Amino acid sequence: MQWKEAEVGKVYMGNDLWLYIGMGFGLVSIAAALGYYRWVFRQDEGSEKAKHIASLIKDGASTYLAMLYRTLIIVALVLGVAIAIIFSGDPGRPYHGIYTAIAFGFGALCSALAGYLGMSIAVKANVRTATACGRSIGDGFNVAYKAGAVLGLTMVGIAVFGMCLLFLIFHDAEIVLGFSFGASSLALLAKAGGGIFTKTADIAADLTGKVELGIPEDDPRNPAVIADNVGDNVGDVAGMGADIFDSYVAAAVASMLLGASFAATIGIQYIVLPLILCTLGIVSALIGLRFVKVGPGGKPGKALNSATVMSCVIFAVLATILFAVVNGLAGEVVFNWGALIATISGLGIGVIIGFTTDYFTNDDKKPVRHVAEISASGTGLTIITGLSYGFVSMVPAIIGIVAATLVSYFSAQAFGLPGIYGVGIAAVGMLSLTGVVVSNDAYGPIVDNAKGIAEMSGMSHEVVETADVLDSAGNTAKAITKGFSISAAALTVLAMFSAYTQAIQKYSGGVPFVLDLQNPLVLSGVLLGCLVPPLFSALVMLAVTRNAFTMIGEIRRQFKSRPGIMAGTELPDYNACVGIASSGALKSLVFPALLAVVLPLAVGFIMGPSALGGFLGGSIFVGVVFALFMSNAGGLWDNAKKYIEAGNCGGPGSDAHKAAVVGDTVGDPFKDTAGPSINTLITVMSLVSSLFAPLIAQYHLFG
Amino acid sequence: MRHLYLSLMPEALIASMLSPEEFGNYYAVGAERTTQGQAVFFEIDPEFRHPEIPVEEALARCMPHADGGPKRTVYASVYRVLERLPLSVLGTLYLVTKDGRTLGVERASGSGDDGTELHLYHELAPVRPLVVSRLGPEHFFSLLTRGPDTLLRLPAVSFVELRLGELAVDPKHGSVGDLPYDNIDHLRSCLEQVRSKEVALKVVDRLHPGSFSYRTLKNGLFVGNSRDGVAAYPLPPAPTLKENYYSWWKSANM
Repeated sequence: MQWKEAEVGKVYMGNDLWLYIGMGFGLVSIAAALGYYRWVFRQDEGSEKAKHIASLIKDGASTYLAMLYRTLIIVALVLGVAIAIIFSGDPGRPYHGIYTAIAFGFGALCSALAGYLGMSIAVKANVRTATACGRSIGDGFNVAYKAGAVLGLTMVGIAVFGMCLLFLIFHDAEIVLGFSFGASSLALLAKAGGGIFTKTADIAADLTGKVELGIPEDDPRNPAVIADNVGDNVGDVAGMGADIFDSYVAAAVASMLLGASFAATIGIQYIVLPLILCTLGIVSALIGLRFVKVGPGGKPGKALNSATVMSCVIFAVLATILFAVVNGLAGEVVFNWGALIATISGLGIGVIIGFTTDYFTNDDKKPVRHVAEISASGTGLTIITGLSYGFVSMVPAIIGIVAATLVSYFSAQAFGLPGIYGVGIAAVGMLSLTGVVVSNDAYGPIVDNAKGIAEMSGMSHEVVETADVLDSAGNTAKAITKGFSISAAALTVLAMFSAYTQAIQKYSGGVPFVLDLQNPLVLSGVLLGCLVPPLFSALVMLAVTRNAFTMIGEIRRQFKSRPGIMAGTELPDYNACVGIASSGALKSLVFPALLAVVLPLAVGFIMGPSALGGFLGGSIFVGVVFALFMSNAGGLWDNAKKYIEAGNCGGPGSDAHKAAVVGDTVGDPFKDTAGPSINTLITVMSLVSSLFAPLIAQYHLFG
Repeated sequence: MRHLYLSLMPEALIASMLSPEEFGNYYAVGAERTTQGQAVFFEIDPEFRHPEIPVEEALARCMPHADGGPKRTVYASVYRVLERLPLSVLGTLYLVTKDGRTLGVERASGSGDDGTELHLYHELAPVRPLVVSRLGPEHFFSLLTRGPDTLLRLPAVSFVELRLGELAVDPKHGSVGDLPYDNIDHLRSCLEQVRSKEVALKVVDRLHPGSFSYRTLKNGLFVGNSRDGVAAYPLPPAPTLKENYYSWWKSANM
């Protein structure tokens, strides 16, 4: 649905005004992020030794990102040219392909930029946070959190600015879809690559350092210690940043597409409503972030959670005021109240899902303690119990997703909007907190690095302990973020799935598009779709084990050939491990990432739109289940190990600890490589399908 | 400079050109990471000589390598060393972690007996059983070396007392907490038997592994023989270790 096709009148001008406002707030958000950036940059870097270690981490991260972005440029160019050629075949829209390709490239660039800026500040903030921890916990928290906010605010700012700009120029939601596809393609590579990198280094460092030699965490004698710290940045900052950026954009674009599909009946203002809500999200994040502080003796975890809750309340209030004011001034219902209910239901349920996820991964709660206690009876029981709680942990999230889907669908429908538009808007509501959620998430790896730098540079144990308190809060925030982002991705892809069905219906001459499970093509599609998340998970986890095996060999070689390393008289060759992790990750991610693009196209062009619909359904449902299960089980094993290390169930060195270490090693690639990457996988497959829907509707072998 | 070291795990007298810290690191992790493990050793008065131990010959062989590198170890004896050393030749005790961090501990007066009813001892040399007892460290030492009623009298012994936490008070229901011991149910049962029966001690594990976790040390290390009595080497309190010996403390808590 093109904007200009609609009968718009004054509403057209009004909607353009919203886009200018969106761009304005996008720039304000970026400016605020730059302000935080400068503030963090002005903080004391500390001792020369701390600066040297931080520079090693920074150099390692830069090396990896340079390699990653070189790969991404090639991928973006190939895909961009392909899009330009493929979508230029429609005589009615001769420049559609070029515009979509431009939007694709712009999306990829914005996603890369957000990830790069986030990581650029993270590698500067880590040493400053460590130094600030020497002054007080509040100072340490402030530096890390403001640095995290740089990523959060930059991301939402760039996303809203980019989407508003493209829609303002082209007035076509399908072109903005190209922007989303560009962001998601890059996100998949960044997330999967970062996930493989970080767990390769983490597992190799632990297995050789901790298990074989009894070297503590973050000990500078371990050749993989810098790669491990680099991994925190490339996996949890650049990777996670790109991942949430992609979900955020995809949620808005899916709703815009649905709004465009129904614009003739509900009005074109619903195309821009997702962008308006994203703008309100920026405003609530800007306000909410001002209140995040940790005083002397304060609790950083509480501060992180209060930021989320406060932004949530501010957003709900602002959205309600917006609907009331706009409808009041217009003297008619411009924005349907059903859309507001859907938005707030998505927002509320997103927060609830985030916090219920915490139940399964928090060491104050029964599941983690049960796994820790039962670990004393052997590794087998650790694995079985952790797997079981991982499966159970899906229950509240799935019920939450179901509740959000039903409430948003029927509330929208009750007020005269298409129900599926309500689902899309619920996803936007859920992701409206992205600015704050990403700030919380990016805070985690920064304090993790700060702790490592404090250890490695020989800062006092008080500084290390302060950084450790901040790190624990970061781990909890990370678990909440994962539950939140997976649930948001689930709602997003449901909306994107509907956008796909609408597109197929539109380009098939308006013939109703129904997916019937008795149709063998649909059923085959479902089965093939179900196959993708486990296959993708296996490929990226095998990449982790393969690369970790290589790195373990390198670490052993260094210890054997250079005895001074263990004696503390000689520094290891950190770059060798960074190189193995970087090249291994990049080589390993290409095939799994290609699956996300090639498989939906193959199913669509060969087996037809119905089979592709089934394929998307299968991959979405299994993908959500896998992502939730893997993230939560991995987090649970990790915290069970930490609970034992805190002096419970026998403490370090006990049988329970040995079993828990195995559980944690199994869970590491679950929670940090495969689990979160599945989010992006299903988003990319949904976007590819929606983008190519016009062609698949016309050209397919069967169906 | 040549040193003499008495290793307790395993029992051996070693001549070396390495300083205690270098020797500890080498003894724990090896030159090419081919050996690894905890080490506990004393620095011995270099003037010590004994007719049954070829100390002089070991020192004579303890010469730099052709490339100028120091000779790391020359074993003078690998058994019955402890019984032949008077307490007066024992210098600083060194506790080395699995990853080669070395902490020096000095001799101190006092038995360290806090009067608790139950004790857990890990004998290090000459044999290595894990034992529970109602006797405090000094009485336990006396029983092993001078007990009038026992057939198994040792000429010399070295042991550590390990923490029992709540098990020292309530063996049946006390929380394990951070005690990393294997087969806790058996340990509980042994503690109950010692408490309720006439026997003063009971062997928990006759083939106990040589290593133990430093963080489980209660009173430090005891060493003595039937001639000279017992000497105590108490571990500094945890806050002191954390404050002054953070690297060692961190490795010891692995």
